[in-house]
Amino acid sequence: MGRGNIMLETVLQNRYAVTAVILFGIGFLNVMLQQNLVKKVVGFNIMDAAVFLLLASLGYISGRVAPVVTEGAQAAQYINPIPSGLVLTGIVVSVSITAFSLALIQRIYQQYGTIDLRELRERTGKEDD
Amino acid sequence: MAEKPVKKNWRQRLTAWVDGEREFKDRSLFVMEQRSSVTFRRPTEEEHERREKHRLRWFLNRYPIGAGLLGLTLVAVLMAVVLTMPPFGQPDNPMHNEVAQRYLERGYEETGAENIVTAMILNYRGFDTLGESCVLFLAVAAVMILVLQDKKNTNKQDLAQRAREDTLLKSHQDTILKQAARILVPVLFLFAIYMLLNGERSPGGGFSGGTVLGAGLILSSLAFGAGRVQALLTRRVYSAVRTFGLLLYAGLYGVNIFLGANGLPNYLTGMTMLIDLAVGLVVACTIYGFFALFSRGEL
Repeated sequence: MGRGNIMLETVLQNRYAVTAVILFGIGFLNVMLQQNLVKKVVGFNIMDAAVFLLLASLGYISGRVAPVVTEGAQAAQYINPIPSGLVLTGIVVSVSITAFSLALIQRIYQQYGTIDLRELRERTGKEDD
Repeated sequence: MAEKPVKKNWRQRLTAWVDGEREFKDRSLFVMEQRSSVTFRRPTEEEHERREKHRLRWFLNRYPIGAGLLGLTLVAVLMAVVLTMPPFGQPDNPMHNEVAQRYLERGYEETGAENIVTAMILNYRGFDTLGESCVLFLAVAAVMILVLQDKKNTNKQDLAQRAREDTLLKSHQDTILKQAARILVPVLFLFAIYMLLNGERSPGGGFSGGTVLGAGLILSSLAFGAGRVQALLTRRVYSAVRTFGLLLYAGLYGVNIFLGANGLPNYLTGMTMLIDLAVGLVVACTIYGFFALFSRGEL
């Protein structure tokens, strides 16, 4: 009883991290199980969003404001600026990867007329013969 | 006297292996390989293909189960980690260490940027952001390689189809979009410039300002026709702006490094703004480039 309560409390306290883990799982399964290539890319983006959520929530400190310093303020009034910068890096990489994979998928569609992995497997197999 | 083979346990064997001992641990393997080469018959093409197909089907049948189990295991491990994490939002979490404190305390006087995130990504960790700009630059280049349609890879059919699409778009103009864009586009550009120039004093900066600028370009391209934007931003100008942004960043940050990279002299404190502007140019070009390349295959 007591142990369960503590666990529930931890989960509620770290709700952003828990949400991030669930989102990450959804994105991961999407990447692994979807047969449609575009949906795989969507799953990848969900995974990215999970990581951004986790990072942004790690940098937050209750009751503090965004780190734009004004005169006469203490450092203890601001949240941690480092995770915000890291999220920025992540977003840039995510956008680039998404664009590149979508371009590849477009080329695949032009070449084979499908973006479904099963059909793609058949058609590439036929081409080899 | 023959040397007595010493029986070793797994730990000794591992140590010997790490130390570089080379001996055949299991001789039977060796013998089997020799014998099989005599009796081994090369499978015919057909057999080989059938075997491959069988193996592929075997793999594909089990793949979803394996993937699901892997995903669930991953989630379970991550959940177990989350349960041991320090509580959310507390100021004494190990995450908030002396690095963040130093940035917050000295960031303004060392870089001249009131927005500490901007100060961090453009000064303290400027190399990282230079890498990001290069990633964006290369992403556009890679997409261009893949989907750009120019003189070399288009034929008459493609051109005719594009002309047909253009006339179709011209005959079905979206009035709502056009009127909205007429109001929105100037505001968007103004806001983007404000964000770019004011990134060191307020939320915003190169990346967000550049994205808004790119969005303004996309909106005007959608509402007023691609030709209007293209007349202003030909492929030559586009490439020049993109390269100029990256080079400006590299040059400015190079100056920063040469001056010690350890707090800027007073006459250069406005440099963060210039770097922001350079990043903004790269980002805006990237966003607009993705849109143009994916929607029309040309710039």
